[in-house]
Order: sequence, then C-alpha cells, then structure tokens
Amino acid sequence: MESFLSRYRNLVVLLAILVAQIVGLAIQVRRTGAGRGTLDPDDQSGVRLIRLWANAVISPPERIAHATKLGIVGTWSNYIDLMHVRQQNKNLQETIGRLRLEQAALMEDARQGQRLQALLGFQQKYIYTTLAAQAYGSSGSDRSHVFYIDKGARDGLKPDMAVITADGIVGKVRDVFPHTSQVLAVNDTTSGAGVILETTRIRGILKGNAAGQLEVVGVTADQRIKPGENVLTAGGDLIFPRGLPVGVVQKVVADPDRDGLIDIIVKPAAHLDRLDEVLVITATEPRFSPQEQQDMATSEQTAAANDQMKASSIMAEKLPGLIEPDVPADQQPLYDDSNPNPATRPPQPLHPDRFSPGAAYTPPGVEPDPNSNAGIETPKSSERPAVDGAGPPAQPSKSTKQQQQRDQ
Amino acid sequence: MSLLAAESRRDFEIHRFPLLAYVLVPLVSLVLQAWLPRVASPYDWFDFPLVVTVYFALGRRNPIQGTLMGAAMGLFEDALSHHAIGINGIAKCVVGFLAASVGIRVEVDNHTVRLLLNFGLSLISSAIYLFVSRFLLGLTVEWSWLTELFRAIGNSIIALILFPVLDRLQIRD
Repeated sequence: MESFLSRYRNLVVLLAILVAQIVGLAIQVRRTGAGRGTLDPDDQSGVRLIRLWANAVISPPERIAHATKLGIVGTWSNYIDLMHVRQQNKNLQETIGRLRLEQAALMEDARQGQRLQALLGFQQKYIYTTLAAQAYGSSGSDRSHVFYIDKGARDGLKPDMAVITADGIVGKVRDVFPHTSQVLAVNDTTSGAGVILETTRIRGILKGNAAGQLEVVGVTADQRIKPGENVLTAGGDLIFPRGLPVGVVQKVVADPDRDGLIDIIVKPAAHLDRLDEVLVITATEPRFSPQEQQDMATSEQTAAANDQMKASSIMAEKLPGLIEPDVPADQQPLYDDSNPNPATRPPQPLHPDRFSPGAAYTPPGVEPDPNSNAGIETPKSSERPAVDGAGPPAQPSKSTKQQQQRDQ
Repeated sequence: MSLLAAESRRDFEIHRFPLLAYVLVPLVSLVLQAWLPRVASPYDWFDFPLVVTVYFALGRRNPIQGTLMGAAMGLFEDALSHHAIGINGIAKCVVGFLAASVGIRVEVDNHTVRLLLNFGLSLISSAIYLFVSRFLLGLTVEWSWLTELFRAIGNSIIALILFPVLDRLQIRD
C-alpha cells in the first residue's frame, strides 16, 4: 500500500484535490425541477468567506493599479490635453443655463404626473438617492460579467441595489463586502431586468448572451419593432426604477429555441466595457439639490399666482356682487319686488287657546294663575301687536301696505 | 535537438525561484487578470493565471506543486467571479499537473515548445471548464470555441513575452 502511494503519489494528490473541489461544487449547485443545475444566488457562508478572502487579497493592489491609471490619465487630460477647453467651457455654460430652464419646466410636469399617478394608486419610484462609486476591477473572465466598485457595506450598500450611469443602467449589486462590492452587469447571462420598448410598449426580459450582448428574449414577433427604438426599464423587477434608459434596438433575430418568438439585440446605452464612475441607487425618496428646490419653489409660486389671478378674473366676469354699497336698496342687483304675495308674519290671536300656535293646554275649570304666564306665551312688549290701542302702533311693512291698498 | 538529447528526467534542470516570486508573481497575475479586461475589453483574450501556472509547473517539474498552484490560482479566479467556486480550480489544477508532467520529459526552454504547450494547455483548460460546468454540474453555459481559440493564441503570445522575463527571477548557481 505504501509503495503504491509513493509510486502514484502525484496522481493521488491530483485525485484528492479534484475530489475535494468536486464535493465543494456539489454543495454549491442544486438541481432544478427540469433536471438542470443552478447556482444558489445567495452564497453559503463558506463560499462567501472564500470570496471575501479573495477580494481582500486582490482588491488592494487592484485599486492601486486603477488609481495609478486614473492618475496618469488625469494628468494627461487635466494638464496637458487642454486644447479648446475655454471655448467648450463657454458652450457648456450656455447649455447649462438653457437646461436649467427646461429642467424647471419638466420638473413641474413630472410633479403633476406624480400627483396624477398617486391618484390612480400606482406605487412608482421617481427620484433616487444615489451614491457615486468608482469601478476598478472585474472578474477576469469573459464568462462572468461582474465588476467591483470601491463602495461597500460601510457606505450603506446592500445586495440588489441598482447600479446606473448617466447614460443608462449598468447592473445590480450582487455581493457586498466591507469596503467593496461586486456588481453583476446587465449583459451577464445570469442577469435579468424588466424592460419596455418606448414606442411600441412591448415588454420583455433583458438578459446577456454568450457574446456579452444585451438581448430582450422571448418576445412575440411584431413587425413594429424597428432598429433604433429606445428600450427603457419597465420597473417591475423591484431593482431598476421605471423609465431608465437601457439602450436602443440594434436588430431583431428569431429565437433559436422557440418558434414564433424573437430576440431583440439591444445596444446598451451605458458603456459597459469602459465603466469608471457609476451611481448606486441607495433609496428612492425624493431628493433635490438646493438649486432644483429653488427653481421648483419659484415655478410653484408663479403657477399659484397665475392660477389665483385666473380664478378671480373668471369669478368677476361671471358672478355679480351681492351688495353694492353705493347703490340704493331698490336698485340693488338682488332686489326683487315681483312677488305679489310676499310672506307675512301671522297675526297674533286675541284670545289664545290650546289650538293657538305655541300655546300650552289648560284644562277647563282650572283658573290660570294671574301671576304666572304658564300656558300662554306672552309676547314681549316690543313684539306685542298694537291691537288694543295701547302703545305705539306698529309700523306696517311695505308688503302690508300693499295688501291694505288692494283690500280697499 | 535539446528535447531529444535528454535521456533521463534528471538531466533537466529544476528551476528555483526566491520565495517572494512564488507569492508576488501569482498575485500580480491575478490582479492583472482582474484589472486588464476593463482596459483591454473586448480584446481580453488572455489568462495570466494560466500562463503563470504553466510557467512554474514547467520550471519546477513537480506535478504536485503544479497541481497545488493551479488549484490555488483557479480557486482565486472563481472566487472573484460570481460562478461556483471550483470550476476553474479543477481546470487549472489539471493543467498544472499536465504541464509539470510534460516538463519532466521535455526540455521547455525552447520557445516553440513553450508556444505550443501554452496553446494546447489553454484549450485543455477551456475544455475541462466546459465539461465540468455543463456536463458534471448541469449548468447552462454559453460557449464560443472561437473565443477559446483566440484566448489560446493570446496566452501563447503572452507566454512568449513573459517567460523570458520570469526566467530572470530564477536562482542560478
């Protein structure tokens, strides 16, 4: 036995290492219902530990290399290659001024849209809190489209946060380490994002193919899909907010696996191969810069003032005033004497009984207490009608006068 | 020919390196492999860890050391990706074993031999990767043999440049 081991020592060591790795792989991969193998998206603790160690070993020198490259490129572009910069700066300043005006108008429209959608009960995500990060490394394999960024758990990053650039979506945070994070790019074969074609409103799932291209898979064939159409995020995957640019349709090919379906090859909006600065969407609460807030406040005040002026002018045109202070009473806008039988006050009874309005019932044979007014409502002296000749006669009202004239 | 002249494996010199070279060279190769694709993409048809594994395995002419180095390099590569840890490990430890086994029998200072060895071992590594991932684990792996061919050519060219540089690190008596 000993001679066998010593004779085939090399092979035994090779087999032992192979078996150990195969066992390790068997732990990581599980069978699906269709009999295919699949990787658990959430690494087990042991696997995660190995990734953490590898990252801790490789990341520091990799970041140094990346910083060195950035330093060289920055020195060149910031201090040497400065031709036409002054003219570009002037043009950009003009562009910024124009864009600020447009942005204020667009934000007002966006706010109105948000209010309307809130009324409809949609829960959409609009404005995002982002964290800028520097992409510095990759997996080193074209079969694994992941890259590393220099922000990690200590910066508040969590798995499944969306990663974007100003041009479009890039990927999602897959694994978070203390100071770095691994981002799964959208052009990886294992990634997925819900997208929608801007014009035709056709929805689909965006994945990466073997060549590292983006494709929307399993779409029903449609003649309206043309190259050049914009592709946006649909917002249904709970990772990417709705409406972010993904890319443009490059070409349409038949789905090799399913008849009647097509795959749409998409040219990514973001430069996935040359990423430097990326933005990680850490929250979706509204957050505006002071300048944007000021612009919005100004826009809101102007809109409110305009609305108020408009409403008051409409009211003034359509509705008359109730009382004109400088006009006599019979010429007031609401003065009306067209009714021939105006409502009059009913006369007071001379001998009120139990049927009189407001009188209480007094049984027969019971003398009412002269000191008390119980049972009979006595009008106050000021309101008592002058029927017995006592006291000053009441001034007849205008309508009473008219009635008397008609009786005569 | 020098490779035919040797009648015994003992006739070949075993290359020795300072301890720091065993640590730094693989580390640098892993860093370059992780960093350069961002700069050279989409022309990243190279595998520095494979080339370094082949170099040390050929120079040391020790299959166990070649196996261990290949396994370590492959596991590091797997850990930096989002795939299962061990696929590259298996591929590269077999490559390290084969390279060391060839190094015992063949004089490998010849540039043509180095070129051919790197080309062949790159293709073997790709084939093992495909076999393990697709047939052993049943994973869905998109594959392009043209890319693997380009990678094998790229590795051979890198080996032609890198091997003479690494030869300077040898401890000479």
